[in-house]
Amino acid sequence: MKSARGRNRFLVACIAPAVILFFIFMILPTLNVFRMSLFEKGAYSPNETFVGLKNFKMLVSDTNFIRSMQNTILLIVVVTIVTFAFALIFAGILSREKIKGQNFFRIVFYIPNILSIVVISGIFSAIYKPENGMLNSIIGLFHKMEEPILWKGESLVMVSIIIAMVWQAIGYYMVMYMASMASVPESLYESASLDGAGRLTQFFQITIPLIWTNIRTTLTFFIISTINMAFLFVKAMTSGGPNGASEVALSYMYGQKDAGLYGYSMAIGVVIFLFSFALSAIVNKVTDREPLEF
Amino acid sequence: MKRKLLCAILSVTMAASLLAGCGSDNTTEQTTDAGNDVTPGTEEGTEAAAGNAEGETISVAAIETAYGSEMWQEVAAAFTEQTGINVELTTDKNLEDVIGPSMQGGEYPDVIHLATGREAALTEQFIKGNMIADITDVLSMTVPGEDVTVSEKLAGGFTETSLTNPYGDGKTYLAPMFYSPCGLFYNAGLFEEKGWTVPTTWDEMWELGDKAKAEGISLFTYPTTGYFDAFFYALMYSVGGPEFFNKATNYEEGIWETPEAQQCFDIVAKLATYTDPITPAQANDQDFTQNQQLVLDNKALFMPNGTWIVGEMAEAPRADGFKWGMTALPAVEEGGDAYSYTWFEQAWIPAGAEHQDAAKQFIAFLYSDTACEIFAKAGAIQPVLNIADKLEGDNVMFYSIYDNGAKAAMGNFAPFEAIPGVEVRSVFFDPVNSLVSGDMTEEEWIEGVIAGSDQMRANLK
Repeated sequence: MKSARGRNRFLVACIAPAVILFFIFMILPTLNVFRMSLFEKGAYSPNETFVGLKNFKMLVSDTNFIRSMQNTILLIVVVTIVTFAFALIFAGILSREKIKGQNFFRIVFYIPNILSIVVISGIFSAIYKPENGMLNSIIGLFHKMEEPILWKGESLVMVSIIIAMVWQAIGYYMVMYMASMASVPESLYESASLDGAGRLTQFFQITIPLIWTNIRTTLTFFIISTINMAFLFVKAMTSGGPNGASEVALSYMYGQKDAGLYGYSMAIGVVIFLFSFALSAIVNKVTDREPLEF
Repeated sequence: MKRKLLCAILSVTMAASLLAGCGSDNTTEQTTDAGNDVTPGTEEGTEAAAGNAEGETISVAAIETAYGSEMWQEVAAAFTEQTGINVELTTDKNLEDVIGPSMQGGEYPDVIHLATGREAALTEQFIKGNMIADITDVLSMTVPGEDVTVSEKLAGGFTETSLTNPYGDGKTYLAPMFYSPCGLFYNAGLFEEKGWTVPTTWDEMWELGDKAKAEGISLFTYPTTGYFDAFFYALMYSVGGPEFFNKATNYEEGIWETPEAQQCFDIVAKLATYTDPITPAQANDQDFTQNQQLVLDNKALFMPNGTWIVGEMAEAPRADGFKWGMTALPAVEEGGDAYSYTWFEQAWIPAGAEHQDAAKQFIAFLYSDTACEIFAKAGAIQPVLNIADKLEGDNVMFYSIYDNGAKAAMGNFAPFEAIPGVEVRSVFFDPVNSLVSGDMTEEEWIEGVIAGSDQMRANLK
């Protein structure tokens, strides 16, 4: 009896530091975001006034915010689909097929993930340069251009950011898929090929169902990381321009804080928080399947 | 038992490492402090003054711009020598990020040198929040080490603008610092080579634009839309004079539907059609130097800028025979006034600062001959009388712009309570990017300006 109580006390003592710190540095700030979204306050001013849901009402009519949210959703959808497809295909090829230099490709695909976003933004800014940038120079070889293509101009800037983000993300997800593909037993493929299943059928009937739990996890990752990465890319590549065309939700939130609207930017934070939570939950629900055992 | 012991050790280690995490904050702070002392080089000044009776220490935070940060170290040292007040100096290119967090915690530097118009808009936030100390009495203070007052030294007009007196109550809150005439910068060498003359009216400007186009040169480019503020202010002055400017910058009702305003919009919209088409794609904080490069490469003729451009692009490659030239904005009609906007930075004391009196002395000292000379060496020109003698190089030509007939335009848009999604730059100037790329029409721009201006008026301070 005594030892059981002592054991419990010991467990509490072990967990306490982590719980306390987690509460102070994670839970409390998050709650504070929700609280601040109901206030009006400058980032540096000590005074705050309670305004209820006014910040949220203004959000609905703020066209700049709506545009930044649209851009965020566009990025989440397109970047997720494209990266997902490429990562899955590459992972399938690299783990199932025998090709020369497999390790080389593995490393090459993963390298963008090691680079910092600022470096990647620098690389892509150079690629997208209107005059003597790499992309325009290559296109110029095949097709005579009257005017340079403005990759960071208003109409193409989102496409340019998508390309950079996909390039950056593929390696990471590819490695994740490869890891779970490696654990699929070889015997399944053997018996499938004896039954006359082709490679594509094997991929869709064996590989994908067996790594489904992993795919579900990565879909949540996609949502969270796209929201976060988009901010970094926008900050380092376009600063939201031209004329706000590449503004995303987080960069808009950051800008509003600078404009002296701390409460308002916290309201944006709340919207993003709820949005990403809800989206992850929906995706999780929709992709729910009976887990397969092998 | 053994396992328990192991668990205990592990948990203690974890707790300790977490605490170490907290503790490292202090260490960083200490190292930063030490770093501050070393980098800005005030340690000599601080030590030298430590023996003095005053012994008070003020903290000064100054933005590091194209002028560099050494001049601040020298000025701080000179100030300590003169008054015995120690200076703890912080300089950084992203000053907002360095001093911002501690200010949010209620700890303010005593003097901040940080101009308005920066992206983080820290100074604007302090203006909007009424968090800047009134420094009107500094004007009548004697400059430390001299026997004249600050206002006797200051050049005329600088303490009468809405930038220094943001609330229009006759009180000065921000001290004018480093001024720079803004105008259109161009390659004087190219003009000589081609035998072109610098246009004095907008009609001549368009003519020149057509001539240049025939040779494959664009008439105009701009670094970012942020540079349009100085441009637009001068334009408003040259179109409608000070009266129109004051009405417009106070968002008077219907002001944007007047013929004067229409003329301003027309000129900018027409200029957009003469702008190098790749400009908007590079008009961001990362790529703006590539737009400036267009002028150096003779791909565009004019860009709005300030005198710091010479230092900023000093290392950049350039066309043969390149020579900086600068002109005021052309007049709207033959014989009309040409204006050049006088851009200047601001130094101010946060209302929450601890050592207000010493801080005021420091600001007064910034106008002393000693300080002005130190600043001038780095190319930063204080708005004091008789500064012309201290000018060197290209600056002689730049700062003589007002002697050559151009009028000085000063002032800015009146501050207003923060409104979600509505800022001066995003309403007035950012759309120029869309005008150039053709994604927006002049009418849409004007509509946006009127709508934004209405909201600003309703929220005027």
